[in-house]
Amino acid sequence: MCGILAVLGCSDESQAKRVRVLELSRRLKHRGPDWSGLHQYGDCYLAHQRLAIIDPASGDQPLYNEDKTIVVTVNGEIYNHEELRKRLPDHKFRTGSDCEVIAHLYEEHGEGFVDMLDGIFSFVLLDTRDNSFIAARDAIGITPLYIGWGLDGSVWISSEMKGLNDDCEHFEVFPPGHLFSSKGGIYRRWYNPPWYSEAIPSVPYDPLVLREAFEKAVIKRLMTDVPFGVLLSGGLDSSLVAAVTSRHLAGTKAAEQWGTQLHSFCVGLEGSPDLKAAKEVAAYLGTVHHEFHFTVQDGIDAIEDVIYHIETYDVTTIRASTPMFLMSRKIKALGVKMVISGEGSDELFGGYLYFHKAPNKEEFHRETCRKVKALHQYDCLRANKATSAWGLEARVPFLDKAFIDVAMSIDPEWKMIKPDLGRIEKWVLRKAFDDEENPYLPKHILYRQKEQFSDGVGYSWIDGLKAHAAEHVSGKMMQNAKHIYPHNTPTTKEAYYYRMIFERFFPQNSARLTVPGGPSVACSTAKAIEWDAQWSENLDPSGRAALGVHVSAYDPAAVPSSLTTGTGAAMLVNKKQRVMEAKAPELTISS
Amino acid sequence: MCGILAVLGCADSSLVKRSRIIELSRRLQHRGPDWSGLHCFQDCYLAHQRLAIIDPTSGDQPLYNEDKSIVVTVNGEIYNHEELRAKLKSHQFRTGSDCEVIAHLYEEYGEDFVDMLDGMFSFVLLDTRDKSFIAARDAIGITPLYMGWGLDGSVWFASEMKALSDDCERFISFLPGHIYSSKKGGLRRWYNPPWFSECTPSTPYDSLALREAFEKAVVKRLMTDVPFGVLLSGGLDSSLVAAVALRHLAKAKVARQWGSQLHTFCIGLKGSPDLKAAREVADYLGTFHHEFQYTVQEGIDALAEVIYHIETYDVTTIRASTPMFLMSRKIKSLGVKMVLSGEGSDEIFGGYLYFHKAPNKEEFHSETCRKIKALHLYDCLRANKATSAWGVEARVPFLDKQFIDIAMDIDPEWKMIRRDLGRIEKWVLRNAFDDDQNPYLPKHILYRQKEQFSDGVGYGWIDGLKDHANEHVSDAMLMNANFVYPENTPTTKEAYYYRSIFERFFPKNAARSTVPGGPSVACSTAKAVEWDAAWSKNPDPSGRAALGVHAAAYQEAPEKTLATENSSSLDGRPQKLQDAMVEATATATAL
Repeated sequence: MCGILAVLGCSDESQAKRVRVLELSRRLKHRGPDWSGLHQYGDCYLAHQRLAIIDPASGDQPLYNEDKTIVVTVNGEIYNHEELRKRLPDHKFRTGSDCEVIAHLYEEHGEGFVDMLDGIFSFVLLDTRDNSFIAARDAIGITPLYIGWGLDGSVWISSEMKGLNDDCEHFEVFPPGHLFSSKGGIYRRWYNPPWYSEAIPSVPYDPLVLREAFEKAVIKRLMTDVPFGVLLSGGLDSSLVAAVTSRHLAGTKAAEQWGTQLHSFCVGLEGSPDLKAAKEVAAYLGTVHHEFHFTVQDGIDAIEDVIYHIETYDVTTIRASTPMFLMSRKIKALGVKMVISGEGSDELFGGYLYFHKAPNKEEFHRETCRKVKALHQYDCLRANKATSAWGLEARVPFLDKAFIDVAMSIDPEWKMIKPDLGRIEKWVLRKAFDDEENPYLPKHILYRQKEQFSDGVGYSWIDGLKAHAAEHVSGKMMQNAKHIYPHNTPTTKEAYYYRMIFERFFPQNSARLTVPGGPSVACSTAKAIEWDAQWSENLDPSGRAALGVHVSAYDPAAVPSSLTTGTGAAMLVNKKQRVMEAKAPELTISS
Repeated sequence: MCGILAVLGCADSSLVKRSRIIELSRRLQHRGPDWSGLHCFQDCYLAHQRLAIIDPTSGDQPLYNEDKSIVVTVNGEIYNHEELRAKLKSHQFRTGSDCEVIAHLYEEYGEDFVDMLDGMFSFVLLDTRDKSFIAARDAIGITPLYMGWGLDGSVWFASEMKALSDDCERFISFLPGHIYSSKKGGLRRWYNPPWFSECTPSTPYDSLALREAFEKAVVKRLMTDVPFGVLLSGGLDSSLVAAVALRHLAKAKVARQWGSQLHTFCIGLKGSPDLKAAREVADYLGTFHHEFQYTVQEGIDALAEVIYHIETYDVTTIRASTPMFLMSRKIKSLGVKMVLSGEGSDEIFGGYLYFHKAPNKEEFHSETCRKIKALHLYDCLRANKATSAWGVEARVPFLDKQFIDIAMDIDPEWKMIRRDLGRIEKWVLRNAFDDDQNPYLPKHILYRQKEQFSDGVGYGWIDGLKDHANEHVSDAMLMNANFVYPENTPTTKEAYYYRSIFERFFPKNAARSTVPGGPSVACSTAKAVEWDAAWSKNPDPSGRAALGVHAAAYQEAPEKTLATENSSSLDGRPQKLQDAMVEATATATAL
């Protein structure tokens, strides 16, 4: 990843302004430790902090077209840049950077080119010929982007909030899949896939098509000139990423430079479930596996830094970000600059626990659509910022545009959890990689139900966080919470503690509005709460009782129903206590 | 390098204090991006930010003795750690870290072990048995260390000023070669080499002994588990480092891990003398050479950051630090974590221009002693902090303890610049490596007189800095300088500009006093100004006229065998001459 900051039309060309922009850009230095650049044109500034993954020697930014009339600062990877270059035979390229193609595409096609890009990106492009600019963000929001407005009439665009929050009167999250054009000053959605309307698709499930689409998504992401690895928690998603990567690594350019040995990384408290599961997968795949152990104290000591970097007060995100943040530092210390990670699968395939309760395929599908649309505020935010904090780039093959199109066009009937048919969560994905001849993973791993991330790192992690928060937040403080934080009021001491830290770094009203809130059951959207009458009726903000009902619904002793026969059900029962522990906090955020 | 921060006896063991110390320690994270650690014992805190060079997997700090009763946080490299371990047979070591030996040595020998360490280091050691502590800094001050006192009775130590300046009532630069003991309550010098008294030595010059000592110094410094390189400006000192490192690399352990190809690095403005000279040396040695070109604008854009990192307002140091700072970022982005560098040779051998005027060998020798004692305020400060800003470690073989002993033991008659005998500056060093059978360097390089660092990167650099400062500092501002800055008053606009930036980051009186000032001619100490009546009589603070006389003195002497290259270069480039003189203004020593 890189860090971008653009200040456009600030009516100030002074040295002092330049120095200020440089200073703000340095706040994004962790994202791009390798080099920095600033292009100034009149009262427009385009700054860049670079993490060099492709063409480390010559790709410093900002980038230009031939006559330097078009300037672009980009955070991203354009996986199809070679193909796009070929389509621009009369253009002369200055660097080997994959992002340079953006300047040339704009020159050739105007603003309509964004959907031609296959990859992850946020960019600001300045056309000095008429002093106009555009900014755009990738389809799902894998790369972060914020937009703000100054009292001087300036427009600000930055990879992280900290690059603009002190200098803008108002700022907000730049919506994913959108383009902002200075001509007219409006957003326009450039990303228009069939699933976006939330209409119910009817394409029958074809496991081989899904498998192939995922393989292609992974292969694209092996484009790198620097050492890389995979994040391996031992769950289905990360194990598939590792299995497919190791299968295709040998033929790639990266292997020529850095060898065909795949490195995998896992973090956890000593003896944690993830460490054990990941080691098993790594041994099966034969990767060079790196285990990182952290202590609860290490994690707690990092919390402030994590909140500063991730820019959220969402409890689940902070819990899950912290181990990832710690691991990223260790990964970077080994000289690895890029990792492939498994985010997005749970959203596309309805992998969360509460999907068991989806009343019908229509509701199931709409909920997956809503989850994918919200990814940029949760898992994408976490995966990108937790790694970028240490100059590490995370790539997420499950969020490949073409793969999403395939996965979201499957008739959702197939995604429904049907214990009677032996279909556990994400069955369509598991089935797609269930190859008897040439197995990607052993069956028991392929069909294993895994802990959620924060739980998998070790059960005492969440307990430790809660105990720590309880030392900082008194009962009295909680009583006044709704007056102190009327928006997204924290309802647990843990949430209150995170919120205090967040407010210290980002005191503006705009900042707190960038973080989502609202009712939720175990990671569900607010809409899905309607799935179970007891969920919405339950006013206990911790939602523990609601989830208890949910879990016990599978408990054969409590509710002897057809649901209890599936493998998934049995496992849930076995892990009842943990599931409740993990889920409770998601329920805590209510507006 | 790593970053250390220790707070001892602050009478506060609260969680709030802990997070404050974590926050302060993070200000040193650039020095140790790989991991961090904090040990808390009652109201004593030892924090560490680690750059992993030796034993990356297990050597996280703080480090302990067997029963954890002794805790130590170290920034440094102990080159003889294996030998010391062998002496501590009864001790059980927990890690492979070279620094762990410090905890065990203390256990074995008490406070008197410091002189047994061969290397560069700053450390704080806490003995929890009686809650006493010691802190020490290496002989020459290659690693930085500051010491401060809080109003709460606490004693603070930090690798850089920025970690303690906000929380201490007063702080100082910790003297090199000293140890502070809480039991004895004061600073005591542990480093007592024969040359320290400044008595004139009488050992005849033995070129082979000098060569051998330097080779040993370089070989020791090849101890690393990570990729490394050599900073190569193409001058005598860096060329010798590269030549010797190359000769011994194949036999070193590091070559087995990272190959026997030596990487060399050089920075300059486009077409600069250094780039050309370094390329020539690299070609001769057959190193894998990396050239970095920067623009004046890039340098200027980095100035505030450079001053924040280097923590000085000394004009010469800032000029020379900036290219080194930029280069370090590029070096780090290539995955290189350690570099060998040529600092110290000019001080030990009297390599500066003004040594031509040394009246006799006694004065010559005393001046070299004074220069070495002041190194920690100038070149050591620059070399360490400019590289550490990006998590790169600089090792300086010329400042090896044994090498200094040998080099400073030579009858200074041999070091004197004697044009009549064909001896130019640093002749004893050049002659030591003048091996006709098996040449280290071609003769013309071995006997070449090089630009000073800031000049070598390109003549436009200093001009650019001055122009930039002129835009920021008006005549009126400079006129009031003695009222605004009564201590170490800046006498040029450039100095004023740097000072104003420094004061913004470090507004306290104590901060300003850590930077040396006083009269100087072209890098001389205040004492050496007496060498030429014209120098001390000259009221022009820039010393311009004084140096002009100096240069002219050689111009009148037509014996071209000697240092005429120097004089002609000065005459041929009046701009450069001015530069050298302005350097004189802000440079001096605290001795």
